[in-house]
Amino acid sequence: MTIPSDISDVCENPAAILSQYRDSGVKVIGYTCSYVPEELIISGSLQPYRISNIGADVSALTPSFVCPFASTVLENILRLEDFFSGFVVAHTCDPMWRLYDILKKRISKPLFLLRVPHNTDNELSLDFFKAELTRFKEFLEKNFEANINETTLSNSVELCNENRNLLKRIYMLNSGGKYRINAFDRFQLVLASMWMPKQKCNEQMNALSFNNGETDGKLRLHVNGTAIYDLNLIKAMEESGGFVASDDLCTGSRYFWNNVERSQESISALASRYLIRTPCPSHGPLEKRLEYIDFMVREFKARGVITFAERFCDPILYDSVHIKSMLAKSGVPTVVIDYENSAQEIGRIKTRVEAFIESLGG
Amino acid sequence: MSLQKERSSVLQTTRKINELIMGHFSRAWDVKTQSKPIAWITVFTPVELLYALDVYPISPEHFGAMCSARGLVLDYLEQAEMGGYSENLCSYSRCGLGYTISGMNGLMPPPDILITFRNSCDVYVKWWQSLHAHLGTPLFLGEAPYVLTGADLGNYVLDYVVKQLEQLIKVIEEKFGLKFDMEKLVQTVKLSDKSSDLWLETLKLRRSKPCPLGGRDSASDIFPLVVMQGTDESVKFYEALFKEVKEKVDKKEGVIENERFRLLFDGIWLWHALDLIKYFEDKGAVFVYEPYSEAWAYRLDASKPLESIARKILAMGLNLDIDLRIESFLDSIKEFQVDAAVLFSNRSCKSWSAPQLVTADILSKEFNIPYLLFEADMADPRQYSEAQIKNRIDAFLEVLGEA
Repeated sequence: MTIPSDISDVCENPAAILSQYRDSGVKVIGYTCSYVPEELIISGSLQPYRISNIGADVSALTPSFVCPFASTVLENILRLEDFFSGFVVAHTCDPMWRLYDILKKRISKPLFLLRVPHNTDNELSLDFFKAELTRFKEFLEKNFEANINETTLSNSVELCNENRNLLKRIYMLNSGGKYRINAFDRFQLVLASMWMPKQKCNEQMNALSFNNGETDGKLRLHVNGTAIYDLNLIKAMEESGGFVASDDLCTGSRYFWNNVERSQESISALASRYLIRTPCPSHGPLEKRLEYIDFMVREFKARGVITFAERFCDPILYDSVHIKSMLAKSGVPTVVIDYENSAQEIGRIKTRVEAFIESLGG
Repeated sequence: MSLQKERSSVLQTTRKINELIMGHFSRAWDVKTQSKPIAWITVFTPVELLYALDVYPISPEHFGAMCSARGLVLDYLEQAEMGGYSENLCSYSRCGLGYTISGMNGLMPPPDILITFRNSCDVYVKWWQSLHAHLGTPLFLGEAPYVLTGADLGNYVLDYVVKQLEQLIKVIEEKFGLKFDMEKLVQTVKLSDKSSDLWLETLKLRRSKPCPLGGRDSASDIFPLVVMQGTDESVKFYEALFKEVKEKVDKKEGVIENERFRLLFDGIWLWHALDLIKYFEDKGAVFVYEPYSEAWAYRLDASKPLESIARKILAMGLNLDIDLRIESFLDSIKEFQVDAAVLFSNRSCKSWSAPQLVTADILSKEFNIPYLLFEADMADPRQYSEAQIKNRIDAFLEVLGEA
């Protein structure tokens, strides 16, 4: 299988597509995390674009002990502000929440904070989140002359569901010990879905064909973490004799695992999907997250779990204790690999991955 | 700059705080012995409601601060780190988790319920989830969304928190067979409001020159507002405090005799290095305002107890939009005649520290307020470089003196 050049190019240089959007008069809304419903943005004839940590250094506006990922995302927003019509930040963890504060004082484009309740299993939170999504819809309508109604929303839900179905179908090709698409390519498809027009991305994924390959002796791994945009991390694992059979990353399966159910009006349906989805490490309940990891490890036959932790990432650092404890009970070894800048530390990371794989007899 | 140390003092009422703290913990064990429920809470959780329900609140954050101030924190920090918790995590949480992992054989009796409302930080969510994972104790995880404008204190955001409080009441009633009594809540709300009123009035007295109450007082005097809101003891403490401070104002007695600089302190105190406050005072600099001290007080309306408590949970300082925070900062700078600001970049409190450089920039460029920003940790003494920080304080005060 060959990944189409549109997809590999955007993954190589995610900022380049922003010039194309600008040249063609497309209004782009930058967003920070997978709790933001792209459907609402698309239904207003706007292009969603996930802000990554690629291409920037940490911002001088945050202290050294604040998550370098959030700081780099901040720097990218400041650096690329001109390409965007507006931004939406989701309140997930402390650094992302405060990123909103900093942006409010530093950028001139319309900015929205989506307050995502952390107690996702409370029905009151669902009602609150519906109200938040309505406020978000009004923000888009007011600032970008977006005309969002039940029909446009229904269409965008269908488009995004199709995207998620495709990603999940491709993902499942590797279930049960199979190896039909390598992890590097698979991650590219997810990232491209966050940057390219969905329609185009779906068309290209529909045209893909897959091999019937075997694992060729690679050790199957599950990767746990927040968001990985630097796919060299994935490459490092594959070059070390590992194969990322599954993940619970915000730039991986958590992005597409759950669909929007069409049985209720669209805002309610979106609220249910985005709040009661597989939780992010910053949210809860922890049990639901642990169940998901346990399921992935079993379904994709992973023999070990690597937690990639950005240094100072509180949610991952707390969770790693409980993930390790849960997996130890089922005899699955785990390792936590922390880093501040994956590009600069790739050698050290690779050595640790190799040592882990070796310890598993891979 | 004068080389002679200024004479500085701590209030008589402040000296009684230790007795109150020890009484609070010793009562907790009495409560445990009587098989009444103990709640481990994060601060800015509805203590008034818990007292009204006969659930005894204990704050592991307060415990962490106290352990740090008394040099007892390292064992707990190390226990947590050995248990897999990174040293880059909040030191209060590491202390609390270390205490939990090591068997809870100290001042805090084991909890019967874990209650938190995410407001001042998101660490609460992860910390309380972790405690729940270790102990299996029931967890109530509340959410107080970030307050973006004043309107949020009256719209669906407020409604969401009020309904969660009603939910909490139901959970406690069902789990412990207790009966909620609205009249009892009204009484605790009245007492809590009285304490807040007295504390706010006391803080206003710091506008006087010389300032009658310094950082060493305010760091300790907040305690009754942390876990004893809604009790008679708390009201009595603040009545005595107000009286003493008022007398000092009338007699024009300050914390230090020769008040050279009036400072604002932004951050949580460094509990393991409270002598730093005296270091400032020795050089003629007194802290006259701290957002941290003010944050504990919130006026409550006894005719709308639940709504009032919900507003209090929402409107705690760090949960207010940055523009609202800066506005309050600038008002205080004028009211308290602040000469300069000291900003503590706290490795443990990312929620507080993350936007601090932006705030500092606004203070400096737009309002011409000089500031000193230094990095350390509120409870972990290993993250503190005394000589380096004192050097920076010396240089800062020297520059202020020349201005």
